[in-house]
Amino acid sequence: MNKNVLIVDDEPDMCWVVSQIIQLQGLNVFTAYTGEDACFKLSKGDFSVVFLDAKLPDMDGLDVARRIHTMVKERPQVVLVSGYHYRDDPVVRNAQEEGIICCFLAKPFSNEELLSILIALSS
Amino acid sequence: MSENPTKNSFEIQYEMLLNAIPSSVLMVDRKLQILSVNENFLIKSQRSKDATVGRPLAEVFPLVILQSTGIEESIRNVFHTGIAVKGQKMTYRAPGVPLRIYYYSILPIQIDQIILIMEDVTEQFRLSEEVRRVERHLASVVESASDIVLSTDIDGRILTWNSAAEKLSGLSTQEVYGRYFFDFCDLSQKQMVQQIFQRMKTSNAAHTTEFNLLTPSNSGTILISWVFSPMKDDYSKTVGTVVVGRDLAERRKLELQLRQSQKLTALGVMAGGIAHEIRNPLAVCSSAAQFLQENQISDDFQKECAKKIQANIQKASAIIENLLRFARSSLDTEMVEVDLISVLKETIDLVTNQAKVQKIKIHLSLQKNNIVVSGVQGLLQQVFMNIFLNAINAMPTGGVLSVAINTVEDRVIVRVIDTGVGIAAGELDKIFDPFHTSSPVGQGTGLGLSICYSIIRQHLGSIQAESRLGQGAAIIVTLPLL
Repeated sequence: MNKNVLIVDDEPDMCWVVSQIIQLQGLNVFTAYTGEDACFKLSKGDFSVVFLDAKLPDMDGLDVARRIHTMVKERPQVVLVSGYHYRDDPVVRNAQEEGIICCFLAKPFSNEELLSILIALSS
Repeated sequence: MSENPTKNSFEIQYEMLLNAIPSSVLMVDRKLQILSVNENFLIKSQRSKDATVGRPLAEVFPLVILQSTGIEESIRNVFHTGIAVKGQKMTYRAPGVPLRIYYYSILPIQIDQIILIMEDVTEQFRLSEEVRRVERHLASVVESASDIVLSTDIDGRILTWNSAAEKLSGLSTQEVYGRYFFDFCDLSQKQMVQQIFQRMKTSNAAHTTEFNLLTPSNSGTILISWVFSPMKDDYSKTVGTVVVGRDLAERRKLELQLRQSQKLTALGVMAGGIAHEIRNPLAVCSSAAQFLQENQISDDFQKECAKKIQANIQKASAIIENLLRFARSSLDTEMVEVDLISVLKETIDLVTNQAKVQKIKIHLSLQKNNIVVSGVQGLLQQVFMNIFLNAINAMPTGGVLSVAINTVEDRVIVRVIDTGVGIAAGELDKIFDPFHTSSPVGQGTGLGLSICYSIIRQHLGSIQAESRLGQGAAIIVTLPLL
């Protein structure tokens, strides 16, 4: 398991929050502010976990997830982090059933919750 | 002539003449006996000559007529004084004949004879009754109308003032009669109303306008929609003005309600974008607050967290403030100086969230940084909000929304162009109609653009659409510059 984590959110403060939560886990944190940037970074690098915002200025978060799904060989675990969807949103459920995301975290979230997701995914 | 070979030609001619007269003529002597009658009387009274000539008046005329008219007494008086009686009215119903009305005259002709001439005026009487009935009907139409109906002379002095005018203004007909109509208008509009009356003198067309009517009883005013029409005589000469006015209070109230409810619909459309946009700063604040609760954090990090919290609360608050301003603003209705650029920028801020959710880029291109128009800020914002949301709706899979503002002479032109699905040629001229919608049933009220249209008209501007199916659409709003 590699130690690279990608945070995708167009809001710099959100990227700051997520990186602050996970930085003590001894991981390499990367950020992307757009869908295109995320796809580019994912195709170049090797990531174990992606925290992905659902609404990006250029693409839908789930479209990014779908592209990762078909494009990248070593597929990272994708966590959809969103204030737009809710937990039992059919869109979220379908994406989970399809396997393009592994879990969903609603904004705002507790830091512990995010951390425990990360730990669960890493183990 | 063969019947009466003894009569001379004068007598024959005289009799022919008498019979040809379309009135009843009777000769009566001092004893009130009928000496002769003409054909007309015999026909009208349904009597034979034998049963009439040589008989007393009392036998020929029904008792009820003799009593009601006192005609016998009148005849005696004429014999006595030698002065004719003229133009008396008599209602006579011969057996089996409908009621007839006569005017009669009693004229002395010789010492011992009078002539009674009875003219049948039933038809004229019926006509004048009809005229009176029509007059009464017209008067009651004007009186029963719930709109103000008044008439003035050519200079605008009030001649008639109906009940609705009395009720709405609180002024009785006596109080206003002969006074200038513009004396009862708001001071600021007096001159304008004076000019309308001036124009009525030479114009053939009606003039429609809106202004306030004074209601001195409660020292207030009411907003009325007026139609001024020149009143012409039979020779097409203007003799006055007819003014009809409708109380706009009720309509304004409905319009306000409609605009407000349409606005709430727009807010509903924006809800998704707003949720996303508010939850971002909330998530940052929430996580930063959690960091602050941890032990052993550096002073710098503590400060950074507090800063992030404050900045993001500001961000959320700004979104809410914009929304509040949009939701409430239609309550003010006064036209004031409005900077159109800031209206457009604020409105773009409001839809940015929704645009982002749908991957739509917004371009704003300006010639100047400040364009002043006369208007109601909230209403103008509602117009552009509607146009922007329509454009965003037309681009479900993303696109570009361009807003271009140009000033040309005394006007400002705002073009809102999208790269969306476009509007079919047949639909284009219907999009400003109320209840016209391309949305599925239950998703659009079809009122948005019709409300835009009414608001822009209120601002003395115009709104147009250009589009081709599949090639996006442009909505063009033109407003007069201040």
